[in-house]
Amino acid sequence: MEYSIRAANVEDCKDIARMITELAEYEKVSEHVKVTQKDLEQDGFSKNPFFHGIIAEVPEQHKTKEGHTKIGYALYFYSYSSWKGRAIYMEDLYVMPEFRGIQKNGLVAMEIMCMCMCMCRKSLVICGVCLSGKGIGKALMSKVAQLGLAAGCNQLNFTVLDWNKSSLDFYLNQGCFDVTADMGYHCMRCEGEALQHLAQP
Amino acid sequence: MHFKIRAAAKEDCREISRMIKELAVFEKMSDQVKISHEDNKTSVVFLVTRVFVVPPGFTLVGYALYFYTYSTWTGRSVYLEDLYVMPEFRGNGIGKGLMSKVAEVGKKKQCVRLQLSVLDWNTPARDFYATKGAQDLTAGEGWHFIRFDGQSLDDLVNEAPED
Repeated sequence: MEYSIRAANVEDCKDIARMITELAEYEKVSEHVKVTQKDLEQDGFSKNPFFHGIIAEVPEQHKTKEGHTKIGYALYFYSYSSWKGRAIYMEDLYVMPEFRGIQKNGLVAMEIMCMCMCMCRKSLVICGVCLSGKGIGKALMSKVAQLGLAAGCNQLNFTVLDWNKSSLDFYLNQGCFDVTADMGYHCMRCEGEALQHLAQP
Repeated sequence: MHFKIRAAAKEDCREISRMIKELAVFEKMSDQVKISHEDNKTSVVFLVTRVFVVPPGFTLVGYALYFYTYSTWTGRSVYLEDLYVMPEFRGNGIGKGLMSKVAEVGKKKQCVRLQLSVLDWNTPARDFYATKGAQDLTAGEGWHFIRFDGQSLDDLVNEAPED
């Protein structure tokens, strides 16, 4: 099946919001999603965007029964390491279920997973073909890496849940490393009342 | 002790570099620091990174380095990449002042989260963040940071589809 990957534009926000919601509904955590299409338009496509996106599209003849041709996305932003310099962070990576396991040359791999960094529970079936990486999800991730390199980044970072062993193995098999397990870094967050309190001058 | 916090300027990069290295020594990873103050000079501008330090007339004794990030669930966030106060100046509320300043700046930009990372053995830092109401997403929910760099990043790039 043919597909293409391109930079997202503001008109894509409706489909990106749809896919964010799809994933959250599948995960039964849709109450966690507060971001709207309008937020995405403002936050991703203004003068100083908070994120950038790439979209995977299929031709009209392969659209879904609801008529969608935009069937996957990756959302990323630039970050910084005070040790190593410019870095790129992949916040989301998602492919609609019916388009997983697709290779550009028409061969079908074993199903690859949905790799949204929000919270992914879908298990990954690993096989040699998957690891040779021709699926849409892999293509999106590679594209993010390429964009990062072009921007002078020397790291691609993201997060994954420790119980998601199949995802972890999938990434580790591609040569990345687990910064938390290897170096002992913990992810920390302040939000809600704690953040309000902290922000008092 | 009297201290002031202000936004960093390009001219601060040499001192920021010095403190980055001091922090790396403390974290037992000084061999990991690859960038210089020259890199900082160009990259601060590029990545819209802001740093707060104590101003001159005083000695530069601490800094915070942050940038904006995004959550597809909750929207705008701020990430605190570094927070450092020279050892002899600790205990005066400078670290707390720096962190609050970053939170305040984030709030003005409608950020709803402040995120950071901390080493598991760094008990004083972990205790400090806990008193500020920070949740440990690694211990609590199992989140791990994953990274591609060097050869693994090059290999991933080589598999990118042609435009």
